[in-house]
Amino acid sequence: MSQLLQSLVDALSAGATLGLAALAIGLVFGVIRLANFATGEIITAGAYTLIFTWQLGWYISIPFAIIVAVLLSLLMELSVFSRMRAATPATLLIASFGLSFLLQRVYELAFTNNVQTAPVASELAQSISIGGVRIQMLSVATILLAALLLTGLQLFLTRTSLGLQLKAAAADFKTARLIGIPASRVIGLSFALSGILAAAVAFVTTVQTGAVGPTFGVPITILALVGAVIGGIDKISGALAGGFLVGFATSMLASWLPQDMSNFKDAYVFMLVIGVLLMRPQGLLIRGRGAVRT
Amino acid sequence: MAQKSLMWRLGPLWSLVSLLLIVYAVTLVNSRLGEGIQVQMRYALVNLVIVVALQMFIGTSGVLSFGHVAFVAVGAWTVGLLTIDPELKRNLLPDMFPFLFDVQAPWLVAVILGGLVGGLLAVIVGPFLMRLNGLQAGIATFALLGVVSQVLTYWSSIGPRSGQSMVGIPDVLDLQTTMLITLVIIVIAWLFQRTKPARLLRAAREDPIAAAASGINVVPQRVIAFAVSGVVAGVAGGMFALTNRVLQASQLGIELTFITLAMLVLGGVLSLSGAIVGALVFSLIDLVLVQLQSGVDIGSFVVSIPQGARPIVLALVLIGMLLWRPSGLTGGREFVWPFRKHAPLPGNPVTND
Repeated sequence: MSQLLQSLVDALSAGATLGLAALAIGLVFGVIRLANFATGEIITAGAYTLIFTWQLGWYISIPFAIIVAVLLSLLMELSVFSRMRAATPATLLIASFGLSFLLQRVYELAFTNNVQTAPVASELAQSISIGGVRIQMLSVATILLAALLLTGLQLFLTRTSLGLQLKAAAADFKTARLIGIPASRVIGLSFALSGILAAAVAFVTTVQTGAVGPTFGVPITILALVGAVIGGIDKISGALAGGFLVGFATSMLASWLPQDMSNFKDAYVFMLVIGVLLMRPQGLLIRGRGAVRT
Repeated sequence: MAQKSLMWRLGPLWSLVSLLLIVYAVTLVNSRLGEGIQVQMRYALVNLVIVVALQMFIGTSGVLSFGHVAFVAVGAWTVGLLTIDPELKRNLLPDMFPFLFDVQAPWLVAVILGGLVGGLLAVIVGPFLMRLNGLQAGIATFALLGVVSQVLTYWSSIGPRSGQSMVGIPDVLDLQTTMLITLVIIVIAWLFQRTKPARLLRAAREDPIAAAASGINVVPQRVIAFAVSGVVAGVAGGMFALTNRVLQASQLGIELTFITLAMLVLGGVLSLSGAIVGALVFSLIDLVLVQLQSGVDIGSFVVSIPQGARPIVLALVLIGMLLWRPSGLTGGREFVWPFRKHAPLPGNPVTND
């Protein structure tokens, strides 16, 4: 019983992390049809920043990581994606693939292939015992952080004019432009928010591992992208739910599959993904068929 | 109807002959430049065959596939298992299914079987995956690559234990033979362009709705293209196994997918000439960068670039191409005999119609 609870909390936290990462991808996709594979390198940049600046104190390190992530995200948009507005989603995906590969090699050149380590927020790495159930502080913190960010994002998207503009653009970019929503502003905004979410993902994953290498963000991004697509990348809530589902499933499989089978946990998740795509190519949360725009 | 000149009749053939000549000439030049460059040229030809496989499917159907390296991987595995000495297999790969210890095949048979296994995998997954379009197709094929990589990494019943690699693949493939296989593959790809499935797929690529209205059921046609390109990718895998002679699942994953896609985009996704020009130009740039990384004497100077700069330049080439010339170096056109008046549109083979 306690083992079940423990694995549930872990799975919730893994789901929350991937949900945030998928949301970072989904926000941008909603606006410009870009499934940004290089989101992983934004996460890596945030993680490196945390590792290198943690000794200055969390109140410096965390804002600094957010700034770096947001700036890198905006830089990608300005230097590459803003020049590719006419491209198809598939071409944009290939371009982001190239950008991801490029940044990984740049990190390798700058920080070597070895992992950089620092005890980032090591207080969170402890576990506490509640009624015989050992629970990782970090898992609880991750779930709380995700809840906080999602509430904030929800308030922003529904209560502020800028947020409503973004929401409208994500729902239907063409119509949004027709009614006078400034395109460049909402696109920039989506990249900036994506950067903030990536920084949050960087924080929880860096606390968890304490070590960052050039390809740190890649596995998270693969699963998040896959999750966003099966949830319905066309819709912000779809991306979030899909990311959560994939994170939750992966963590549960890791906890409950016997040792010799748990090596294959990613293979099971990918097969699940293919199955979902076949049954609902438009995404789990998208009703009807018309929602997929290409 | 006026009698057409012989040159005109042979016009379409030029789009094949020119490609064969280019590959032959580049190989010939490189074979004279020393041992190290010969080895790189062999890898370049293996990559070229993978890119041709990608073009046969992506270029013809317009559907993105990140999954072809999965066929490369199973092809490589097949050739590895069939060519390693049985005694060695028993010692190095102890967990394998017993029947795999004794199966053996000459290398050429093994490469052909590798192609068939790649094609078989494509036929099995094709009917499912080929129903998807656009981004969904990209993600689903990527998931296929993920599944295959995991299985080959961890399933020690069909290969090495995780973290170990398959060694002992015989050294039988020289540059000349590699080139011959490559030329045969180019002929196959050129012929494939002219088949009915390829023609129907091009129609559906240009206008899916009009194609459906004309009675084209696109899914079976895509499965055929997926399977044929899967065979070619499997053969490329076999060539890789015999060239590299050490196999590890991690070599046949995301990075190879990225590099071969970059080659295809560089040359032009829509044409076979694009696949070949892209692969050769990319490999040429790579060759120069490798030389530069180790330092090149120009007169009294030694020109060199820092270690690790090579992949950065290659990635910049891909991104720059996507930004400034998204249709690639060839613009998606095939090579046309210089004196012909009518050139086909980008994305179409040269014909006499």
